[in-house]
Amino acid sequence: MHTVFTRANAILAYTLSVSACLTFCCFLSTVFIDYRANATLNTVKVVVKNVADYTEYQTENNDFNQVVLWDKIVLRGDKTVFNFKNMNTKYYFWDDGNGLRNILLLGNKNVTLTLSWNIIPNAGLLPSVNAFGSHTFAFPSEYTSLRV
Amino acid sequence: MSSWLQYVKSMQTHMDYDGQARAEKLSRVVITLFAIVGLIWGYVIQQFSQTMYILGAGFAMAALITVPPWPMYRHKPLEWQKPQSGVTTKLKKKK
Repeated sequence: MHTVFTRANAILAYTLSVSACLTFCCFLSTVFIDYRANATLNTVKVVVKNVADYTEYQTENNDFNQVVLWDKIVLRGDKTVFNFKNMNTKYYFWDDGNGLRNILLLGNKNVTLTLSWNIIPNAGLLPSVNAFGSHTFAFPSEYTSLRV
Repeated sequence: MSSWLQYVKSMQTHMDYDGQARAEKLSRVVITLFAIVGLIWGYVIQQFSQTMYILGAGFAMAALITVPPWPMYRHKPLEWQKPQSGVTTKLKKKK
């Protein structure tokens, strides 16, 4: 600590150590939070943070298939109440095989819509949270060219 | 001009040992305090960036207080022995 430079160096190093410590505290504050919330699909109101919408269904080859149909990035301060009706999917029903409209040319009877979201903190866990509640429906057996 | 130069040259820029110790301790205290306050405030308003800004303010404060060799770090100069005349190497007792 005998010259200006050693003191400046010591202070800078200590500040960086402290900032690492603070970042760890920020991480700790995200660990024990339960982010799950109620979200009812096909109903009036869903309050979400970062959203991805999945479709889950079973096929012979894969027990668990998921397709992201819609997502939205919500930043701090953005509106978090969404009210969508009759919206189109943002992404297609890309299918790994013929699971959605299967080989017997019948629609899959067990397609489930769920809602899940990631929360991205400055420092901390990146939780993938599933909302309570889901909506199960059967896929139509024939293609349509118009809105059903 | 030359008198001004003399004045600049006569400025003392060192810290004594006690001042160095106090400067280090003071910088640690200042930065740690700002860090604690920043963490609490950042947690209250849920903005980690504010914590970092407050820590930056603490760094600036500590740098201002302890990096320049302020006169307050020169209060306890070392007590040197008087120069001894002659060849006799009889040591005087230290104060």
